Amino acid sequence: MSITGLYVSRLDALPKIFTELQRLNYTVVGYKVVNNVLRLDRLNTFEEVATGVEDVQNPGRYYLIPGNFHRHGPDSPKNFLYPPRLPLFEVSPEWGVVVKDYSKDLRLAFFGIKSCDLTSIKVLDRVVSDVDETYVSIRGNSVIVVENCTQPGNTCFCNTMGAGPRARDSFDIAYTRLGSKLVVEAGSDLGLKIINRLAVEPIDDSTYSEFESVMTKAALKARANFETENLPELLELRLESNAYKEVVKRCLGCANCNLVCPTCFCFDVLDVLRIDGSAERVRVWDGCLNYTYAQVAGGHFRPDLWARYRHFILHKFTYWIKQFGTFGCVGCGRCITWCPAGIDIRDSLLRVLKGGVI
Amino acid sequence: MSKLKVAVFKFSSCDGCQLQFLNLEEELLQLTEVVDFALFYEARSSVEPGPYDISFVEGSISTPHEVELINNVRRESKIVVAIGACATSGGIQALRNWANLDEFKSYVYPRPEWIEVLKNAEPPSKFIKVDYEIRGCPVSKEQLLSFILQYMRGKIPTLPVSPLCIECKVAGNVCVLVVSGTPCLGPITMGGCGAICPSYGRGCYGCYGPAVDPQAPAMNRLFKELDLKPKDIQLLFKQFVNWAKGFKEVVEEYE
Ligand code: SF4
Ligand code: SF4
Ligand code: SF4
Ligand code: SF4
Repeated sequence: MSITGLYVSRLDALPKIFTELQRLNYTVVGYKVVNNVLRLDRLNTFEEVATGVEDVQNPGRYYLIPGNFHRHGPDSPKNFLYPPRLPLFEVSPEWGVVVKDYSKDLRLAFFGIKSCDLTSIKVLDRVVSDVDETYVSIRGNSVIVVENCTQPGNTCFCNTMGAGPRARDSFDIAYTRLGSKLVVEAGSDLGLKIINRLAVEPIDDSTYSEFESVMTKAALKARANFETENLPELLELRLESNAYKEVVKRCLGCANCNLVCPTCFCFDVLDVLRIDGSAERVRVWDGCLNYTYAQVAGGHFRPDLWARYRHFILHKFTYWIKQFGTFGCVGCGRCITWCPAGIDIRDSLLRVLKGGVI
Repeated sequence: MSKLKVAVFKFSSCDGCQLQFLNLEEELLQLTEVVDFALFYEARSSVEPGPYDISFVEGSISTPHEVELINNVRRESKIVVAIGACATSGGIQALRNWANLDEFKSYVYPRPEWIEVLKNAEPPSKFIKVDYEIRGCPVSKEQLLSFILQYMRGKIPTLPVSPLCIECKVAGNVCVLVVSGTPCLGPITMGGCGAICPSYGRGCYGCYGPAVDPQAPAMNRLFKELDLKPKDIQLLFKQFVNWAKGFKEVVEEYE
């Protein structure tokens, strides 16, 4: 929730927020351009923040063009809060066990992430907070400066999922770029402290109506062709839909959808043995589209690819609600863009809902 | 603890996989403290007779004589581990399975009638029971070491089981198929290499062979949609593991 309401400042307040975070000893993480792709990475200076580019995202395709609004790339906050490869503990040759401690040193400030990214953190909070100490310690020390999306992209459907394009709560600072103006609000005491150090004024009527109209338009753009009302139940009723079998004719079973999804949390555990007698236990990302994921001693829960793809959809939109009281999808569109085969989860849902035909 | 008695056999192959043992440079001396390389022609000239705890087998089986030898290996070994693309799928040699054998022989040998070979180059598993497969062209030395260490400590050895895309994302790469339309076999290829090729912006060549459940028809379909020429699509599948499950069927489609 916003604790301040909206204030107006100028664009040059952004670098000030950035340096303020650094002054408070936070490592700033934000989107920067690396090899023509937006990557979420540690940033040393405000100048590293992506600028002058827009990401064009379509099913199975991604590129940058000159522009003034960027969204995201293949990475998400998950990469930092729930890392792709996480050493859990070390075993010495004498069988001593040393558990890794990530509670120190990691003070991350997410800067300029989008509303869908923020919502994905809220989802992960519900999913792993009780079970993952690493997540809790990194997350507990994190700060979120979120940018409201004035220009959702082709694969965005956060509004349908109630996840954007405007951030409503759970941030420290939310900002919106409107031409040379910056609309800001604080969502925490820390956010308020930072905003207090900027030159801000309460929002005036004309800026407010501009803000409202830009955000309303953005919300309309960030919608999919389905509604979430009764979605969990409708999907369960269509459990036997032939649509899944149709869709997976194109599916490569590569699990890229799982990996780029900011809320997918499945993992595998590997033991790395060394010649000196020591060993390390490591957690690595895995996903339900991978054949071996649901393989267990003596059998397999979902040997068919269509069943694995169906599980992905049903988990995000049906089971997640039962398990965690929220959808598992925030409508960020990453699984659409970064699916090498360009399988579009919005189309898949429509097909299932409409009985296999669209 | 008595030393593990290991043999390294070679069939039709380039020796590159067994060389990976020697490439373990830093760990090699320590390894020989716990492992007795009882038969390893590339490393030592003296040979101790079997039986062996583990026999690592490199290469495909391409002559009647090799069929005999591989059966001997099986008899002398507690477990047989196929290493590399040749020993797990037929490898590069299997390219000749797609060509006219007599024609090949007549190009290469002055007396082709003296050359006695099987109709097809095949992986050892076609003739004997193979207990484990370590993939790659060549195999990764880390996997060889890891296999031995796991086995020695009484653990059922586990090897990579996920498609390459997972390693690719874990390595922090951006997908080459999505950003540049570069053909990549990663989605249907077994992980294990750490996604070397995509890390350098190239597509995966598939040298670790098919993933557990390779969706080769969908991969083929995607390449068609990328407007690749039929010949080029065939060449993508007709590389290191052209004779392997999934890959073979696509190669066939374009023959
Ligand atoms: S999904 Fe919504 S919040 Fe995320 S980038 Fe698109 S418009 Fe912005
Ligand atoms: S399922 Fe797709 S659109 Fe939904 S949160 Fe995951 S990656 Fe984003
Ligand atoms: S990313 Fe696409 S092709 Fe790969 S498993 Fe997911 S849906 Fe299938
Ligand atoms: S570059 Fe290749 S291996 Fe990497 S994610 Fe893309 S398709 Fe998979």
